This record gives sequence, structure tokens and C-alpha cells, in this order.
Amino acid sequence: MKRLVLFLAAFLLSESSYAANLFAGQAKVEAVCSQCHGLKKSSADAPFPRLFERDFAYLQMALQQYRDKTRKSDIMNAVAGLLSDEDIDNIAAYYDNIHPASK
Amino acid sequence: MKRATKILSTAILTVLSLSAQASDDAAHLHQLYQENCASCHGADHGGYLAPALNADTLKGRSPTALRSLIMTGSFDTLMPPFYGKLSDDDIRGLVKHLQSTPKQPNPAWTMEDMKKSMQVYVQDESTLPSKPTYDIDSMDNIIGVAARGKYGRGAGSKAVFINSSTHKEIGEVPTGTAAHIIEFNPANPRWAYVKTDTAEIFKIDLYSMKAVRSIKTGMNGPGIGVSRDGKYIMAGSFVPHNAVILNADTLEPLKTFELEGVDPDGKMVSSDSGMIIGTPFADVFAIALENAGQVWVVDLKDGFPVTKITDVGRHLHDAFLTHGGQKLMIASYDDSIVTAIDLKERKIIKKLPAGCVPHVGGGSAVKVDGRTLGFGTNFGDCDKTVVSVWDLDKMELVKQVPVSGGTESPAAHANAPYVAVDIISKDKRARTIQLIDKKSLEVAKTLDVGGHAYFPEYSADGKFLYVSAGYNGDEVAVYNSSTFEKVASIGMESPAGIFSRGRVKYMTRGLSPDEMKGAK
Repeated sequence: MKRLVLFLAAFLLSESSYAANLFAGQAKVEAVCSQCHGLKKSSADAPFPRLFERDFAYLQMALQQYRDKTRKSDIMNAVAGLLSDEDIDNIAAYYDNIHPASK
Repeated sequence: MKRATKILSTAILTVLSLSAQASDDAAHLHQLYQENCASCHGADHGGYLAPALNADTLKGRSPTALRSLIMTGSFDTLMPPFYGKLSDDDIRGLVKHLQSTPKQPNPAWTMEDMKKSMQVYVQDESTLPSKPTYDIDSMDNIIGVAARGKYGRGAGSKAVFINSSTHKEIGEVPTGTAAHIIEFNPANPRWAYVKTDTAEIFKIDLYSMKAVRSIKTGMNGPGIGVSRDGKYIMAGSFVPHNAVILNADTLEPLKTFELEGVDPDGKMVSSDSGMIIGTPFADVFAIALENAGQVWVVDLKDGFPVTKITDVGRHLHDAFLTHGGQKLMIASYDDSIVTAIDLKERKIIKKLPAGCVPHVGGGSAVKVDGRTLGFGTNFGDCDKTVVSVWDLDKMELVKQVPVSGGTESPAAHANAPYVAVDIISKDKRARTIQLIDKKSLEVAKTLDVGGHAYFPEYSADGKFLYVSAGYNGDEVAVYNSSTFEKVASIGMESPAGIFSRGRVKYMTRGLSPDEMKGAK
């Protein structure tokens, strides 16, 4: 029993520290980002940058900078200000995983 | 004196230039409204798919809240974010403009205006290919999707055509503003017609996947029908309150109709156009006058004479056909009924109870154990959300099937075991489609599609169920219609209505093509 608890604890720890979760990322993207940037690609008529061709490290850095206000944008500072490190990783992983071929 | 004159003239000049600037501003803001807002909110500020925006409806609303709503859009609706698309000055100006502009009077859009709006993209139709330029077993396998585009206009707005046996896109036709309805010519498989939210009609050659002509029939309004012989189109508008019969070949307008009449409460009203439908039963169109509560039956002969059926309901909307197209089932929002009309006798058969705010979409009818059952969805989000099932032979209510929310459009197919309905309640339920077992008349499954899932449609063979994942989903999802395994995804911006060409074969979704034989 004790072993099982230990095992579970280790599993949960590794799960949370093992950064990105695509499903959590998709849920966050649906709730926070997709209105402007799209779930997959942004609207052909939208003035917002597309995110699906960006890689994980770039997205992670950009979101952290917007959150910390070292990169300025009224709207992005406000939106990213609500994100946790984990949210940022999940979102970055989600967009990193969307390929243009999936349209 | 001289000085006084100078001061005075300076003052006059100042006043003049100020007022010139003010009217420039007004003209600029009016143009901004027409170019960005009117396709959904109505060219007359009276509302259409989206709420009315005028001095009355926005009275007391905080300008700051309205400004941020325009900037960010509204997540659970089609309203897109205009941040970065319109300048902050323009957004502030628009808020002020909307809060001070009354609903505009019904504008004129005459036969002359329509004729002037005609665009011919292919001058000589004999230059078009004589068969499809892509592989397809039957033209009935074509499914058309009305892609609205995120902004209801622009590069994302188009009609997208898919081969529903391979689930591959076979063509797309840009429509400028949001495509709303796609109709297929029952007599010639090569022609389709797309109507946009700004009331343009495109004639499309499905063989080459090209628009050949277009005409603007009004300012806003989705109503369009095609006659059984494929020779006429009838189109109706919300703004202005008119309808028109066009030559389906040339799109030339032949006759316009002013939509007005006495409503069930005895009041003379000018009316939006509701559904327009051609029927395999006869050479007629039926058109619903939404606010007047009347259905007009227009004979397709000299002068296009009209028979008016009055007192059909309070605020009519959409309808479907049954019994070889002789009977019309029409939804009435405000009295929560669906009225059955006999198009031969041209009178009301019966008013049947529905759920709250019935919106039957394209309707569905299925034959089960010798009975013809009609399925009606209900828009309203009241305590008891149901899908109505009627016995269409006896014209009586069989059951109100409880579903998880408001619904907008049912899909059925003679070969598929379930009637699919889209749950549109504005929360997580909007991601889902519910499947009602034809025999037990109970919800058997709930399908999580994602986005704002709506407008289910079966492929012509009934083997696949197509669903628009809608706004925030940006794909059409395709499922195996017995296992509900997802078999394909076709990406596009804000897909909405899905229209199978198979519909011309089975008249109302769910019926067998045999049903039509008696009619012809």
C-alpha cells in the first residue's frame, strides 16, 4: 500500500513537472486565445498573428514576456497576465503541435 | 465694423467647417457600420442574425463596455474581435454613432437596383466544361458548406463544396460576405445557388466550381427557394421587406413583391421574409411573411398570382415539406406551434404544439413502423428543452423528446438509425450533437464535436454525418453514422449551414427518394 502511495505521488509529481499537456493546452486555447488567433489558424481577415507555425520556445518566451510586461501590448499584457507557467507551456505546446497541413 | 465683420466671418467659417467635419464623420461612421456590422446587425440597424444596434436598444448601455465588447468580440457568439482591425478612434466613434442612430426606415431596393447589381463572371456558358472537372460518382454526393468567415465577410467567406464519399474538398467559391443558404437546382445537377447574408445570390457551376453570375436582391436576408422545374428562384429579404422571383438561368428579376399584410392580431404590418420553398408537388413557391403571420402561395404562371393564407401564426420562420410536398410544416416562434398547411387546398390543416420557440431548420421526417414521423427542433432555452415528434399522417403530436438544450436543426436519413439535433445553448453544451433513436424516440448518444457545433447533415448515402464545428471550431467534422468514429476534418472559418445535394432527391431529410415518385 505504502509503495502504491509513493508510486502515485511520484507519478503525479512527474506529471505536473513534466510540463506540457496538449489537451489542457487546447482547453486553454479555446477559452483564452482562439477568439483572436483561431483554434488552428487565425482568420484570413484578422489582423492577429498566426500562432500555429511558431515553435514551442518562441511561444513560451513571448507569452512570458507579455505576462511580465517586458514586451508591451495593452491587450496581450492583460490576457497573458492571467496565465500560469503551466498554462503558458500547455498553450505553447498546443500551437507547436498544430501543423499547417491540418488547416 | 470691419473688424467685427472679420470676426463674424471667421466665426461663420469655423461653424461651417465644424459642421462639414461632423457630417464627414457621420458619413464615415455610417460607412464603417455598413462595411463591418450591417451584414449581421441589419443594414437598417434593426438587427438580423445579431441584435439590433440603435439608439433605442443601446439606451443606457455603458459606452466603455460597448467599446470593449467591440474590441474583444463576444466569445459565445459569432461576434469577432475588432481590436487592431478598426482604430480606437473609429471604435469610439462607432459606439457614439450607434447610441445616437435610430432604427432606419425600410429602405428601397427596386427591380432597377437589382438589375444594376447584376455581375456576369462567365459571359458565355457554353465555354464551361460539360462534365465535372473532378472525380465524383454522383453529383448527389456533393455537400456544400456555408462558411461565414470570422468577420462575416472577407477572404474567409465562401461556399465550400465537398465530395461526401471521400470527404475531400472539391472546390470553393468566394462570396464576399457570409454565405448562408446553398440551394441545388433539382432539374440540372450542375447548378447551385448561394445566398449571402447581404442578400446576394450567386449562380454556381458545380462542374467547374465557379460563380457564373450574381445579383443583389436586397440588403439582408437568407430566404431562397428553387422551383421544381429549376426555372425560377424566389428570394426574400429582412431588409427591405420584399421578395423577388428571378429567372434561375439568367438571375434576371421578373417580379417583386412588397411583404405586408394583416397579422393574426388584426394589425397591418410590413414584414420580414421568412422561409421560401419550392415543392416537388406543384409549380409554386411558398413564402412566409414572418411578422404578418401569413404564408403566400405564388403560382409560377403569367403574372405570378398570389394566394394568401392568413392567421398561420405569430412570427413565422422556417418550414419543411411532407406528403410528396403537398403539406408544409411551418414554425411559429411566438406561439410555440408548428402549423401544417395543405398546399393543394391552400389552407391550414392544423396547428400542432411544439417546444419553446420552434425553429425547424430544414426539418426531418422518417418512416418508422408504417408511420411518417416529423422532427422539429426548438431554438428557445427554456426550462423544458425538447424536440417535437409529430405523426405527419394524422397530424398529431407523438412525443416531446427531452434533449439537453435549445436546438436549431435536425438531420435524418432513411439509412441512418439516428436523428441528429444540434444543441445550441451557450455553454459547453454548444459543443455537442445529440442523437435520437428513430425507434425508441429517446436520446441514445451525445457527440462532443467541439466549437459551436451545429447544422448536422447526412451524406446522400446516409453513411456519414457532417457537422459544422462552427465558430471557434473552424472545421467541419465528419463521423461514421453508425459508430460515430470521427473519419475526417475539413478546415474552414466559421462553417455554418451544411447542404447535401441529396436533399433534392429526398425533399425532406430522412425520407426515401421513393417518397417523391408519387409527386411527379
